[in-house]
Amino acid sequence: MSEVIGVIGAGGKARPDSAAESDVILELRHVTKRFPGVVANDDVSLSVRRGEIFALLGENGAGKSTLASMVFGMYEPDEGQLFVRGTETRITSPAEAVALNIGMVHQHFKLVSNYTVAENIVLGDEPLRRVAGVLPWLDMRGAEQRIADLSARYGLEVDPCAVIENLGVSAQQRVEILKMLYRDSEILIFDEPTAMLTPQEIEHLLNIMRNLRREGKTVILITHKLDEIKQVATRCAVLARGKLVDVLEVADTTTAKLAAKMVGYDLALTIEKKSAALDNAPTVLQVDHLTVEDDNKFPVVNDVSFRVRAGEIFAVAGVAGNGQTQLADAIAGLAAVKSGAISLDGVDLTQMTVRQRARAGIAYIPEDRHGMGLILDLPLLQNLGLKSYFHHPFSQRGILQTEAFEHHARRLIDDYDIRAGQGPRTLTRQMSGGNQQKAIVAREVELDSRLLIFVQPTRGLDIGATMAIRRRILDQRDSGKAILLISLELDEVLALADTIGVMYGGRMQKIAPAATMDRYQVGEYMMGARASTSASASTSTNASISPNTPATSAAPATSAAPEASAAPAEVQAGTGTQQG
Amino acid sequence: MTKKKPLQLFARLLGNERWQFITIPAFSILCSLVAISVIILLIGKNPLEAFSSLLAGAGWIAKSNYAGGKAAFTDFMDMLDAFTPMLFAALAVTVALKSGLFNIGVAGQMLLSGFIATVAVGYSDLPSVVARPLVLLIGIVVGAAAGALMGWLKDRFNIHEVVSSIMLNYIFQYVISFFIKTRYIDPVSRQSRMAAASARLEITDIKIAGVTTHFPLGLVLALIAAIGIWFLLAKTKTGLELTATGLNAKSARYAGIRTGRTLIIAMGISGALAGLAGVTYYLGSVRSIIPGELTSVGFDSIAVALLGNTHPLGNIASSLLITTLTSGSTYMSSTVGVRQEIASLIVGMILLFSACGGYLKLWVQRATSEQLPDKGSESVHPRTISGQEEQA
Amino acid sequence: MNTIIIDGLSFALPLLIIAIGGIYSERSGITNLALEGLLGFGAFSGGLFVAATAGVFAPTSQVPLYLSFLVAAGGGALFSILHAVLCIKFRADQVISGVVVNIVSIALTGFFTSTINAAVFGQASNKFMLSTSPRLTIPLISKIPLLGAVFTNFYPFEVIILVLVALCWYLLYRTRYGLHLRAAGDNPQALDAAGIDVARVRFKAVLMSGALSGVGGMCFAYSISTNFSPAIYFGSGYLAIAALIFGNWKIMPTFAACLIFGFARSAAYQLVLALNADASVADLAMITPYVITLLLLAFFAKTNRSPRALGELYDKSKR
Repeated sequence: MSEVIGVIGAGGKARPDSAAESDVILELRHVTKRFPGVVANDDVSLSVRRGEIFALLGENGAGKSTLASMVFGMYEPDEGQLFVRGTETRITSPAEAVALNIGMVHQHFKLVSNYTVAENIVLGDEPLRRVAGVLPWLDMRGAEQRIADLSARYGLEVDPCAVIENLGVSAQQRVEILKMLYRDSEILIFDEPTAMLTPQEIEHLLNIMRNLRREGKTVILITHKLDEIKQVATRCAVLARGKLVDVLEVADTTTAKLAAKMVGYDLALTIEKKSAALDNAPTVLQVDHLTVEDDNKFPVVNDVSFRVRAGEIFAVAGVAGNGQTQLADAIAGLAAVKSGAISLDGVDLTQMTVRQRARAGIAYIPEDRHGMGLILDLPLLQNLGLKSYFHHPFSQRGILQTEAFEHHARRLIDDYDIRAGQGPRTLTRQMSGGNQQKAIVAREVELDSRLLIFVQPTRGLDIGATMAIRRRILDQRDSGKAILLISLELDEVLALADTIGVMYGGRMQKIAPAATMDRYQVGEYMMGARASTSASASTSTNASISPNTPATSAAPATSAAPEASAAPAEVQAGTGTQQG
Repeated sequence: MTKKKPLQLFARLLGNERWQFITIPAFSILCSLVAISVIILLIGKNPLEAFSSLLAGAGWIAKSNYAGGKAAFTDFMDMLDAFTPMLFAALAVTVALKSGLFNIGVAGQMLLSGFIATVAVGYSDLPSVVARPLVLLIGIVVGAAAGALMGWLKDRFNIHEVVSSIMLNYIFQYVISFFIKTRYIDPVSRQSRMAAASARLEITDIKIAGVTTHFPLGLVLALIAAIGIWFLLAKTKTGLELTATGLNAKSARYAGIRTGRTLIIAMGISGALAGLAGVTYYLGSVRSIIPGELTSVGFDSIAVALLGNTHPLGNIASSLLITTLTSGSTYMSSTVGVRQEIASLIVGMILLFSACGGYLKLWVQRATSEQLPDKGSESVHPRTISGQEEQA
Repeated sequence: MNTIIIDGLSFALPLLIIAIGGIYSERSGITNLALEGLLGFGAFSGGLFVAATAGVFAPTSQVPLYLSFLVAAGGGALFSILHAVLCIKFRADQVISGVVVNIVSIALTGFFTSTINAAVFGQASNKFMLSTSPRLTIPLISKIPLLGAVFTNFYPFEVIILVLVALCWYLLYRTRYGLHLRAAGDNPQALDAAGIDVARVRFKAVLMSGALSGVGGMCFAYSISTNFSPAIYFGSGYLAIAALIFGNWKIMPTFAACLIFGFARSAAYQLVLALNADASVADLAMITPYVITLLLLAFFAKTNRSPRALGELYDKSKR
């Protein structure tokens, strides 16, 4: 097994660069894939050359993930052919793709959370030794050695013995890459790999991709971020509405051209935002020294203090798993507060129930739409009434007033442009993700609360729905509401925030007016690399004990930072949505 | 394609969603009857004969002859005797299931409330005007307390209700057995002493046209309870809270529902219904308690609830079916010679097939949507469906 | 004291093997409330085998005894296919499926025991009689005070179970299959992406649980009543579930839980005997294991973590 690495290396060397450029390793001819109601890919033909970084660009729903999934054997095309290394191939399962040396890093990592790094990497291809000459026994020590070798070779630092649930997003991603390398993959597919990373981690990842290319690997990069393509890709295929728009040499094009190709028209993506007048605005939400513990008594939110004023968008930036969700849950009353206080308009809420807080003036658009924001098996009208069903006019003496629900639902469906096949009676499960989210936003905005908490409000939505929701957030701010916005998408934070707070390891590392911070500064706080003076003493210890703390090494990322800071941030503000 | 045709026809038969609540259980019953017929044939008996004697035993059709003072009507009333506690018990399971809980402690709750009512009222000499309402009250209160206890154990200690209710079933069973054996035993029958007639929820010795029969007082109450539970679940605030918690407890909490309290309420209501089942059983057709034994009504009610699509009104139909099977089986085994245990086997089979009901629904959905040629080719683009999540 | 240890072990070990069956199924992501039914059907198969081969072997032969465990394992595995198919293929609710399998098991074994007894052996009985299992004592070691009781008067099946436990531990923690099984219960998507068929892994795990439960059921048939009768359904399957929850879905802590149940039970019996109370008091003693289960769960159920994907349908199309 261990010699294989050498073979690949030799193979890469054997081919002169020019020959490798023209050598087609993967080709799709007239590929079409349909899902009920949608043509995900419509007659797509393209070819990928050995040793290039080939980008698939398109907005959400353009069909790029579907295309890659077919290459990885997760779907079979309805029409068209697939050629791998010149031979026509049917790939009917991921296992077959792996046998063809194709690997994929999925957007949602496929890792077993209670297994070690090494166990995850070998899963499905485990090395065995024989105890007493007969009994097959998992050879984890051998695997760990081989993984250590691989990670040294490709610059993917990760401890083979670490348990996945103790690793941060970026380290988990490196495990996914190692998984592919362990299986000697030559074609490496990355599905939106940068969505959850800080700018510095993104730089690090792009460097890894350059490394992989240097070692003779072929990389297919799925993204909607133009500057990444500009930085690493050799060629770029643009998809829109399932169709292939064009394939471009990246060196000969500009990000503006790419953007125009992607959406089919010139973009007006920057949202106009009036500057907020906050000097005399009253404080709506006040959080003082809030600490929240998880089931293992670990402080996932650690001594956090901040305030949100009327007419202000306070946006919390941070890498996933640094306590943002728990912060929102604690304010809404869904997570137990260990210590500290939460008050709204000067009234202490800390001891109140979820409902009392909602009635006191908190609306909450949660991160988990399906698991929390909606009850998918109830009809839309009841979901729209989920926060108000218990009072007049929806309930009278304990009995539900169907007409009131219906009337309310019809009004919201019209006002918020919610599309539901059978009107108020539509089963919520049958609605599209964007309309489900619109329904949640409609319900919460209608509560006319003093404070609105938005967590990941545009995740997985296409540009139209994203823009509608962002405009809605700004409208609410302009009407004097206090907004707490929590987003993993740095672009969203930068586009909407009046004030930015950065969370890392459960602490609020930095709070500053949005105008005073650029994306790289925010990124450094997101990694805990920079700490505000008050928190600096505890950050380092905090990082080493937290199970949720990204164990990213900041060194290579920060060194790469300056050269890339010219990235066109204004274009991204709108396109920077993440896929569901 | 031709091979698919009969399948598709079948799918369309089951396909109408409006009627699925009836077509799918009907299909499960049909499947199990076929399976049982095969078994009966294998042991060399005639399944049709067996089934018709089953119906005769339950009083739906006439037997070939009757003993003096008896008629098909008597058998039918006997069946209704069994039907009453069964409906209560099934409603108990239904309320719990709708709230996301699985109450398999119905049998234990029945025993506990039946025992306490017997001891407190059945052995007293209170006049029936006082005794009967008191029995019902005890049934409700004791059952509700036992049910709520399980809800509380789940809420407070995270003990799965299935495990706790099984444990409590055994604890009730043994403790009550101890008390019966030491205090209330009838030395001849080796069961608890008979409860007084004035406390029984049963009018006996009614004479109609030379036939002596009886009437279960709980019957009317059980039917009212079915309608009441339907109203509770479909039309009230509490019902919405129960259903919401049952469908998605996390969302319910987010909506401000106190799910812990809802859980205890749900188990309380479920327990109260089980308690009513207990008193209508142990102080209804049966008059005494066998120590150390749980009634099969408690477990059969799970089948009844599932078969009735966990709909309170559906429970009426399924209770009728299952009690027909159980009360007709004695006559069947004596006339056709098929062992009485076949009744519980039929129940088991029906359960087995109705557990697949969800899959059947899904399958029908798929099969019928294939029929419509290419809805997708109208090229509804991802963009036109605003906010469509990418298919991957 | 010695009796407490001897009886405690003979109860705890069958319980353990059933609980390990449950661990296999649940660690793979399939909730298994069907253990009760599986152990019953296993014991039924073993009992039927012994009854059917009664004339074949010499009356003193130990062969049917040992073979009956094998047959019980096979019977349990066979019956567990029902649960596996319902949960994996027909996507039934796993809790409901488990209860349904139990009900069907009770009905089926009751019906067939009576029918077969009447039709084949010509007697009206709901039991299959078994031969009395021998009991072994290791000389010398059994003389050690207290500890010696472990090696005194034990059933051969206790040795079989200990060997099986070691094998099960090895299979679960040190083989490819074990790695796949535990991954299926935590993140089936990851296993699928690694090219392993999740449904297959789970199917095998449920089969394992059936086989192990069958063995456990057969042990109870020998140790408790020396026959197969409907009395085999006395709740040990549910006790085993409580034990594995208490043992946090791990083999060794579950072992400890089973020992606690076993000793509590035998100690309660000895207490009744020591007090010289009449038989009805035994009813009160019977509740000890159940009360202890509830109490232990009250302390431990909250902190224990079930496998992450337990009870979830795995839908391949939802990647």
